[in-house]
Amino acid sequence: MNDGPLIVQSDKTLLLEIDHAQAAACRRAIAPFAELERSPEHIHTYRLTPLGLWNARAAGHDAEQVVDTLLEFSRYAVPHALLVDVAETMARYGRLRLEKHPVHGLVMVSNDRPVLEEVLRAKKIAGMIGERLDDDTVAVHASERGNLKQALLKLGWPAEDFAGYVDGEAHPIALDESEWHLRDYQRDAAESFWHGGSGVVVLPCGAGKTLVGAAAMAQAQATTLILVTNTVSARQWKDELVRRTSLTEDEIGEYSGAVKEIRPVTIATYQVMTTRRKGVYSHLELLDARDWGLIVYDEVHLLPAPIFRMTANLQARRRIGLTATLVREDGREGDVFSLIGPKRYDAPWKDIEAQGWIAPADCVEVRVTLPTHERIAYATADPEERYRLASCTHHKVQVVRDLVAQHPGQPTLVIGQYLDQLDELAAALDAPVIKGETPVKERQRLFEAFRSGEVGLLVVSKVANFSIDLPSAEVAIQVSGSFGSRQEEAQRLGRLLRPKTDGRSAHFYTIVSRDTVDADFAQNRQRFLAEQGYAYRIMDAEDLPA
Amino acid sequence: MGRMSTTRGFRSLADQLRGWTDERLSTLLSERPDLATPAPHDFGQLASRAAVRTSVVRALDGLTRLELTVLDALVVSGQTTPTELCTSVQADPGAVKAALRRLTDLVLVWESTGGLRPLTGVAEGLTGGPEAGVSGLRPRSAEPLSPSDVGTRLAELSAPARALLDHVLEQGGEATTSAARHTVSPREAANPAEELLSRRLLVPRGTGTVVLPGEVGLVLRGGTTTSEPADRVPGLATTAREQALVDRVAGGAAFELVRRLELLLDHWGTHPAPALRSGGLGVRELKAAATFLHVDQQAAALIIECASTAGLLASRADTDGNLVWVPTDVFDTWSAQDVPARWSAVARSWLESPRMPGLVGSRDPAGKPWNVLTPELAARTMPEARLMTLQVLAGLPPGQVLAAGTGVPSLLARLAWLRPRRPRSRADQVAWTVEEAAALGATGLGGLASYARVLLDGGDPHDTMAALLPEPVDHVLIQADLTAVAPGPLESSLARRLQLLADVESRGGATTYRFTPGSVRRALDLGWTAAEVHEFLGTVSRTPVPQPLTYLVDDTVRTFGAIRVGQAESFLRADDETALTELLHHPKVGPLGLRRLAPTVLISSTPIEVLLPRLRDLGAAPVVEAADGTVRVTRPDQLRARTPRARRAAAANAHESARIAATITAIRSGDRAAASRPATGTTLSPSGSLTALREAIEIGGAVLIGYVDNHGTATDRIVDPLSVEGGQLTARDHRSDDVRTFAVHRITTVKSLDGPS
Repeated sequence: MNDGPLIVQSDKTLLLEIDHAQAAACRRAIAPFAELERSPEHIHTYRLTPLGLWNARAAGHDAEQVVDTLLEFSRYAVPHALLVDVAETMARYGRLRLEKHPVHGLVMVSNDRPVLEEVLRAKKIAGMIGERLDDDTVAVHASERGNLKQALLKLGWPAEDFAGYVDGEAHPIALDESEWHLRDYQRDAAESFWHGGSGVVVLPCGAGKTLVGAAAMAQAQATTLILVTNTVSARQWKDELVRRTSLTEDEIGEYSGAVKEIRPVTIATYQVMTTRRKGVYSHLELLDARDWGLIVYDEVHLLPAPIFRMTANLQARRRIGLTATLVREDGREGDVFSLIGPKRYDAPWKDIEAQGWIAPADCVEVRVTLPTHERIAYATADPEERYRLASCTHHKVQVVRDLVAQHPGQPTLVIGQYLDQLDELAAALDAPVIKGETPVKERQRLFEAFRSGEVGLLVVSKVANFSIDLPSAEVAIQVSGSFGSRQEEAQRLGRLLRPKTDGRSAHFYTIVSRDTVDADFAQNRQRFLAEQGYAYRIMDAEDLPA
Repeated sequence: MGRMSTTRGFRSLADQLRGWTDERLSTLLSERPDLATPAPHDFGQLASRAAVRTSVVRALDGLTRLELTVLDALVVSGQTTPTELCTSVQADPGAVKAALRRLTDLVLVWESTGGLRPLTGVAEGLTGGPEAGVSGLRPRSAEPLSPSDVGTRLAELSAPARALLDHVLEQGGEATTSAARHTVSPREAANPAEELLSRRLLVPRGTGTVVLPGEVGLVLRGGTTTSEPADRVPGLATTAREQALVDRVAGGAAFELVRRLELLLDHWGTHPAPALRSGGLGVRELKAAATFLHVDQQAAALIIECASTAGLLASRADTDGNLVWVPTDVFDTWSAQDVPARWSAVARSWLESPRMPGLVGSRDPAGKPWNVLTPELAARTMPEARLMTLQVLAGLPPGQVLAAGTGVPSLLARLAWLRPRRPRSRADQVAWTVEEAAALGATGLGGLASYARVLLDGGDPHDTMAALLPEPVDHVLIQADLTAVAPGPLESSLARRLQLLADVESRGGATTYRFTPGSVRRALDLGWTAAEVHEFLGTVSRTPVPQPLTYLVDDTVRTFGAIRVGQAESFLRADDETALTELLHHPKVGPLGLRRLAPTVLISSTPIEVLLPRLRDLGAAPVVEAADGTVRVTRPDQLRARTPRARRAAAANAHESARIAATITAIRSGDRAAASRPATGTTLSPSGSLTALREAIEIGGAVLIGYVDNHGTATDRIVDPLSVEGGQLTARDHRSDDVRTFAVHRITTVKSLDGPS
């Protein structure tokens, strides 16, 4: 019996005992091919998935390495069937290759004829391929490069894309590192991406994904299209790029609902890209407006389905995806893999936190008991009304007030889902509120005031969930959310994880109503936090110091 | 030629057997067990039984290709000496002699006064092609030509004649020719056939048929019966793997097997699997079991079959009289043992089992899918195929295992050499064995595990195996995400208790448990108290119990039992009015017929058995209240079936040697009695006639039989017996000089005419 830190389960999960002496070495060894699923305090759970194994293949690891790693670190015998399965799964990647052909443009080549035959007989593939050039080669319509990769992945034979990229229109971009330095992991991430061609970089919120994007642009030295979630985030990207690179404000365009500028570096929002007039995407021409050399997708896990379809046609351009998590609530991780590219870089949250780049957080769930009349109202309400009823109880206002009082002088965010509730809170706390209807200008002004410390308390709706940098926030109080989305929880916690100057830990409160769906949803979200290694406490509202 | 006079040799096979030592006889009877059941009366009968066709065929089935080739050569040569036989077999003389010794031990060959002779019946029994050791050569003629004569005559042949001769040899040594004259001199020969006939290179046999005599075939093949060496044992394709690694992989598989067996049977103990009317297990049940165990259906089929052969699973009627599969009472003792003991029990029964789970998933010849546990899913040859496969693996040098791709085909070639006469299904059976052995943990990475070697040698693999398995642990690590991880196999009692309190999420070397309100409630349902739960968690966890878990338990306890359900009138009462209101207004309670009786009491028109699970589905946490107001706790019944009767084979081994010894003693005494009986003119019983006739066939030569014909007329006839089969004697009748058959039961006397009677 080997005294390793790893236990390989037959259901393809890997349990890593983190207090073990070899744990760090083991984590490094398995990270390329295993997806970190949970990282609570004692034992981290990784999972072997086909996507993860193919990601590893794409990064140049072979099955033998994977098997050796498992055998080396495993404490007990490794189930034989699992080893066979790993080898078989990994062998599926790259049997089919997409290559450039001097005459036919794009071709699909296989060194394994039965696989090619199997794939060619699939109905979904039929429309994407042209004539059979020889036994092992089939012409592919250049426009179907992305769709074909997507379809092949679904068939379980992911293709390796060797067809290369267009250089795009050259445009000089350099990082301006006079006042700051790219962190090691950011440099690694950008380099891994560049060597891999296209792909996704996974870094936690607050770890500086924007800079990885900037570093990638500096590598590409070409015109760049950046797709972001919303306008505020677009402005932040612009500010950051002006500050950190040689780019000037005139070189960066914003393409959003309000402004439509096309410049060497253009930042567009998902929303504008997916706007339709009479059933037609009216801004598709942006994709061809310039000969883009690089496309940056911010928050890949939120990429809407239409953008995936557009991305299928952009396979000849280099693509970098940035995200805090590959977990998608809609389960379309496979589309990210086939259309944007395999994961090129990944670092566990806790590792980065340990390196001091993000702040530690203290998570507390506060449970309030509904008064009897509210419980009866809740019990007799329609199921679809219940969550709103439970999460908007008037009781929460008092609890929020108590919590705010506990952290005087610390910049605090109160986050909620329902506008009525937000208004009520804003009135009770005498604080400004930011909602969907707040004009962008006003939003920016308030965010700026919050950043500078002018405003110490802000009530925000879910518009603040993504990509808005509020590094000074130290306390977040969540009163309602979108039905237990794990995504949202990660994002909201992310608001707080920007490093604090004095190394203080952030506080993250969630207020839920006991014995209601609110508590059920909260459990879902907390599970995600606990799995990310954030221990949390549960308190009763009555126990709060007044 | 060929008829060498020798001082040794016996007048009859019975005489030879009479002279054997008890050890040699007991070897015979244990290798050919069918000769001993029922016990023969005397050596005459033993010898006669040894020549019965079915018995001969069974003995032939157990021979290697070399042994079959030697036997075939002996049939070609007719009566001969060992030394001479060696020259006609293309193999090392030592190996040939060893093969001959074994053939003699098995009484397929015996030493007559005229030399070694194959037993009658052997020639007909030798079927198949060269791979079964059959050369296709005809026996030598009675007055064979010398090899030099044959050589000279071959040299004289024209090219077409030689081509014809080669053709006849390839076609099995027999041909038909209508045109050729049989009596011509070499000079008069008008066509190739006549050329050959005139030189006695082909010999006429009946009208229009010619055969190629064995001595000619031997010369054509270069002096031996086969052109390929017969003693070249096919090699195995191997690769190097450390035995330690093999053991680790196999040990892992063995551990998994035992774990899955226990898991499935535990599950079926509370949720029995319905049996098919034919006795098997339906495809749907198999699928469910496979999903339950996280394995594919093949693996699930093997696990289920193993459970059945080990006597852990049997069918019985459930309360509605339907047949279901449930664990037996042996399962309880089995699951109390440690893993190595459990594994050995399962592996032993698997080795001896004729079951073929490998067929599950394919269809039988009638197109019906094979179901697991179907009685027909078995083959008599399966245990032998398993044993031989594992023995070949056991023969590999340490550090060598079967190569990944080419290993199994080479293993198959080796087994084809060892048992050339086995049925076509062998390829499948060997492939299954290799797969099953890996799944069972008898092999790992294509090599035999060290503990499996001990098992094969008849030893107890317990200690060898125990060293390979993970040590049981007595603690878990509880984490804030409400999971507990046991970093190794938990001690059995601990595991059972933890399973009550938490749901199992992932199994393997370690086990991951998850605490949910439902799982905590389940423990409360079984009578645990909050204090007990906290204490249990505190002692079992090596790390401090996280606050959210403590909170979860308290919170569940708080709501647990808030609603009480009465059985007598099916009432629901709660001190908490709102809880009842909540329940009453739940959109899904309509079918339960709830009605508010008092602010704190509801009644229901639904029987409590239906009501209770529905309420729990709806998220309530009711407890059942008995008539006297106390809380009742229930748990699902554990079902057990009676253990099937122990199979005879297991008991037989112990008594085997004693039984054989007794048989030999009986034969000897019977033989003495027969010898003291007056030899002439006695009327014989049918079995007595058989023995006498078989003996005559073995010795060759004429006998006088008394025969009662169809009209009831008794006659005495002198005949040369040729064969006895199916109650019919085939013999050449001297009076009519033709071959005819006699019914054995009408033969009244048999008297040998050749030797002294």
